[in-house]
Amino acid sequence: MSETAVPLVEMIGVSKSFGGVRAVAGADFTVREGEVHALLGENGAGKSTLMKVLSGEVGGYRGEIRIGGEPVRFTSPADAQRAGVAMIHQELDLVPALSVAENVFLGREPKTAFGTVDRRRVVTETAALLERTGVTLDPRRPVEHLRTGEQQLVTIVKALSLDARILVMDEPTSALSVHEVERLFTVIGGLRRAGAGIVYISHRMEEIGRVADRATVLRNGRVVAEFDARAMTAAQASEAMVGRPVHLMFRGTGTATGEELLRVENLAVRRPRPGLRDPAGVTLSVAEGEIVGLAGLLGSGRTELLETLFGVGAKGPWQGRVLLRGSRIRPRGPRHALKLGIAFVPEDRRIAGLALEHSVLANTVLSIVDRIARLGLVSRRAERNAARETTERLGVKLASLSGPVGSLSGGNQQKVVLGRNLLTEPRLLLLDEPTRGVDVGAKAEIYRLLGEAAARGLGVLLASSEPAELVGVCHRVVVLRDGRGMHELNTAEVSEADLLAASMGEGAVPGLTVGGA
Amino acid sequence: MSVELDEPVRERRSEFLPALFRFQSLFGLVLVFVAAVLYSPHKNGQLLFLDSGNLFNVVRSISEIGILAVGMTLVILIGAIDLSVGAVLGLASVGTAALLVRDGLGVVPVVVIVLAIGLGFGLLQGVAIATFGIQAFIVTLAGMQIARGLARIWSGGQAIGITYGDRPGQAPVAFSLLGERTFGGLVPIPALIFIVVAALAVVLLRVSAFSRHVYAIGGNEKAARLSGVPVTRVKIAVFGICGLLAALAGIVHAGRLNFGGPNDGGGYELDAIAAVVIGGTSLTGGRGSVAGTVAGALLVGVLRNILALRNVDANIQLLVIGLVIVLAAGLQQLRPASVS
Amino acid sequence: MTKRSSRLILALAAGVFLAVTACGTTHENSGSGGGQQAAAGKCKGPGAKYTIGMSQANVAEPYRQRMDDDIRTAAATVPQFAVNFADAAQDNAKQVDQVTNFLTQQIDLLVISPNEATPLTAVVKQAYDRGIPVLVLDRKVDGDAYTEFIGADNAEIGRQAGQYFANVLLPHGGKIAELRGLAGSTPAKERADGFAQGIAGRNIQIVATQDGDWLQDKGEQQADAILKANPDIQAIYSQNDPMAEGARIAAINAGRPDLPITGIDGLPIEAGGIKAVEAGRISATFVYPTGGKEAVAEAKKLLLDCQTVTRTQTLSTKLVTKDNAAQVYAELNRG
Repeated sequence: MSETAVPLVEMIGVSKSFGGVRAVAGADFTVREGEVHALLGENGAGKSTLMKVLSGEVGGYRGEIRIGGEPVRFTSPADAQRAGVAMIHQELDLVPALSVAENVFLGREPKTAFGTVDRRRVVTETAALLERTGVTLDPRRPVEHLRTGEQQLVTIVKALSLDARILVMDEPTSALSVHEVERLFTVIGGLRRAGAGIVYISHRMEEIGRVADRATVLRNGRVVAEFDARAMTAAQASEAMVGRPVHLMFRGTGTATGEELLRVENLAVRRPRPGLRDPAGVTLSVAEGEIVGLAGLLGSGRTELLETLFGVGAKGPWQGRVLLRGSRIRPRGPRHALKLGIAFVPEDRRIAGLALEHSVLANTVLSIVDRIARLGLVSRRAERNAARETTERLGVKLASLSGPVGSLSGGNQQKVVLGRNLLTEPRLLLLDEPTRGVDVGAKAEIYRLLGEAAARGLGVLLASSEPAELVGVCHRVVVLRDGRGMHELNTAEVSEADLLAASMGEGAVPGLTVGGA
Repeated sequence: MSVELDEPVRERRSEFLPALFRFQSLFGLVLVFVAAVLYSPHKNGQLLFLDSGNLFNVVRSISEIGILAVGMTLVILIGAIDLSVGAVLGLASVGTAALLVRDGLGVVPVVVIVLAIGLGFGLLQGVAIATFGIQAFIVTLAGMQIARGLARIWSGGQAIGITYGDRPGQAPVAFSLLGERTFGGLVPIPALIFIVVAALAVVLLRVSAFSRHVYAIGGNEKAARLSGVPVTRVKIAVFGICGLLAALAGIVHAGRLNFGGPNDGGGYELDAIAAVVIGGTSLTGGRGSVAGTVAGALLVGVLRNILALRNVDANIQLLVIGLVIVLAAGLQQLRPASVS
Repeated sequence: MTKRSSRLILALAAGVFLAVTACGTTHENSGSGGGQQAAAGKCKGPGAKYTIGMSQANVAEPYRQRMDDDIRTAAATVPQFAVNFADAAQDNAKQVDQVTNFLTQQIDLLVISPNEATPLTAVVKQAYDRGIPVLVLDRKVDGDAYTEFIGADNAEIGRQAGQYFANVLLPHGGKIAELRGLAGSTPAKERADGFAQGIAGRNIQIVATQDGDWLQDKGEQQADAILKANPDIQAIYSQNDPMAEGARIAAINAGRPDLPITGIDGLPIEAGGIKAVEAGRISATFVYPTGGKEAVAEAKKLLLDCQTVTRTQTLSTKLVTKDNAAQVYAELNRG
């Protein structure tokens, strides 16, 4: 065997159990030099566990790991980092109060001759790294002031700074905009040419086809399929992951024909919040039974628009008008918005959607406890019935209503948030990245639920950074840039590529109807 | 470390362990109670600890801390803290004595006024915390100083003694009931008030929409706000209730001791927090119960009582109580993640 | 939680409460009242064993620690006595509970140094009515439901301190400052009132009065402020020794190392006022006796000898100056 034929990473027959539950069962997995190897599987399939074994975070496994042909057994992440293995987590492990640069060099700060931290070097080296990655961020900005997507870029830069030969990326693009995904792919291309091996975990099929060389699919802790990533189709991959054929996309049943529900006319806030992109001139409308998409790059103001409509955006006066069923509204806060019939599924369910330690029941009925209460007292039976009905209707897989919602999978957690909002019987449903970190099976179900809700006459405004989702699910898509509505696209007539182009503002796409100011 | 579970193949574990953790203070109370019976000194063939007079003394001795701890439980459930309750207790005891003795008011108006003062004080702190977003620790630390200052100003720096009778400068005899040893021959009034407050709180925390909101805020304030929970209003109300209960404890204090002392109640806030922690309520909010707090307060009361009856050195008593708090907090760390 | 386990828990809780509320029999009002007659009842002569309860307001104060020590030392010489000590840590309610616990323990005699008079009155009366002789030390309780009060007269000590200022320190009058104890406490008021009487009509002016809460560091802070605002004062009257020691530090810092400063308490311990006078840090102090030794002597009379005792025993103070400090220290530690 020649030197070059030895894979960078070999995992042979790796098994790992947690208290009697088998997370990984005899998995074989290899990464070659200069290869991007996609790791696919539903949530709970064992992807993260397998990679945590590789990166030294999880010990006590059976099986063998070889790095460059040498058997190794890591006892800590630091151990693995010394051998050149770095992992970028899905949960962003950054210290919020510290700056970008301080986070990148956390724990291994360059020292001055006096033994103090060389702050200048920390900043200049981070700036160089950021530039190499094509990210425009001030290295001195505190991480807590960054948006989720920007924070994700910081973790990637941090991993790059380790000069790792083997880089594990767990859903690196889940909060990135199309534009930033492109940048990341450029970076990955550079790393591959330099001979690094990359493990790429993602739920986004179209990305895998573009960036990966090989794809391995895990199901219930076992390797069930291996594909040539470039030749693999989304249907093949989904079927391998779920174990049965999946119809991934919900297609709106023709054009919505309901009456106009929401009308936003030239909406702009007078005092935009610093660091955010509050509405600066948005015009759009949503009809009953219609699903309207909100597209745009990260920082284009999608989240801020939804927040404004839900009454949690910038304070201060508005310009323009917002009409709900013809009457002018200005929600003062979530409670008022809900009373008006507007519900909101926020971007990050763990931070803004759920009390993870609390029961599924408590989380499901939270928005309606005071409605089902009589004289301030809640009937436990009414509460339980409402929760049971909702979780059954939405197909939430759970052991018990009293179990903590945090023990559910991401998709089921998202369904609980969705269910809580549907319980308020809204007329307009606002959704921000509802399928972020959700596996294929649950994704399809969420699309189906949205379709059902729309069929009942609900209006849906859906912000997403996945072009496929917008094109596949929405009737129309409004593209935002810098807090303004730039274009309105009819999804029956445009492709994902058109949408991408419109988001980035690269030239006019023929046949676009221009909305907004 | 996140454990991914795909199939629901986990064996159904016995429900005993989660219950043990959830009601740790109740089990602890039973344990301490049994130990106290075994450890109790005898006199004339009788177990001194089990003497009904003694058992009621235990309940009475924790009645003030217990009432404070009920309010503190609500505050801690929303993830906040109230350091002012001890000083508000002192202010209320001074107010009670001053209004009864100096101003010659009747029992009912005095109780109403003092409760209103406590409620108002709590509400103001709540507004500072919920509306203006100042940290609860800081607001109530300032509140503690302010209440103490008000108590000293109101009392003129002197403790106000309460004597009973019909002459001017004397309080209505009805108020002395609080200080009387027992009511109906058995139950001391302070203990009775504590039991009623605790029972009301336990029931309301199980069935009210308000309590759902309280837990939700402690569990995830942002999610609660986005779910339509009136976070600001609930927080203000919680601090109002806490202040009201502190004032109630102050009235009990004044009645028990026939006295309004501007310096009284110092450090009671810490005893109340200890009872809440031993009761298994998480200081980060969102998890816990009033029932646990009541058991926690009783546990400390029984422990103090038996140590005193056994004539254990005062310094050793401090040590023992401290160890119990550490133990309770440690148990909370050990509790299985699935218990909530 | 299933319903069943919830019920189990509730049942357990109810059980504990029932146990708390229903066990045993009550002893309410079984006492017959009247301490003096009762003392005779408690007196079983020198052949019996006796348990004495000593309820202390706050052991953290050196004076009160000394009181406990005096009782412990004196009681050690009486083989029939066993003393249980309790410390209320400055908390009136706690002290009430502790006396109640003593009653449960069925003590034969109660010695109490109340944190405050009024709050302890009821529980002391309860003990007294039950026939237990009660010796009250240092601070009185209200009414007359006790056997004997043993203590010094704070007002009298204040008066003597005032006279010392008027006759010795400032015979021609002058400006002075006063450091008081904890606002709202009885001795602080009495020591202030007595002092005012002692200097009345002698042209001595108290130009500054601050609360030092009986504490040295607080006394230092306050004296510091006083000396800045009133650099012309000629002496400081401190209501206890620790505050006087604090004031001395402030005076040295203010460039007035010889400023006359007097204290009260004169504890015969290493860190006490008598040693401070001997070392010249305090100009003079007035011994405030603990009464611990006297209490044990009275207990012997009541329990062993079946005698009656007087209602009030006022302990006399003693002026301590550099001249007699060593002698007084030795005397008080002779036991």
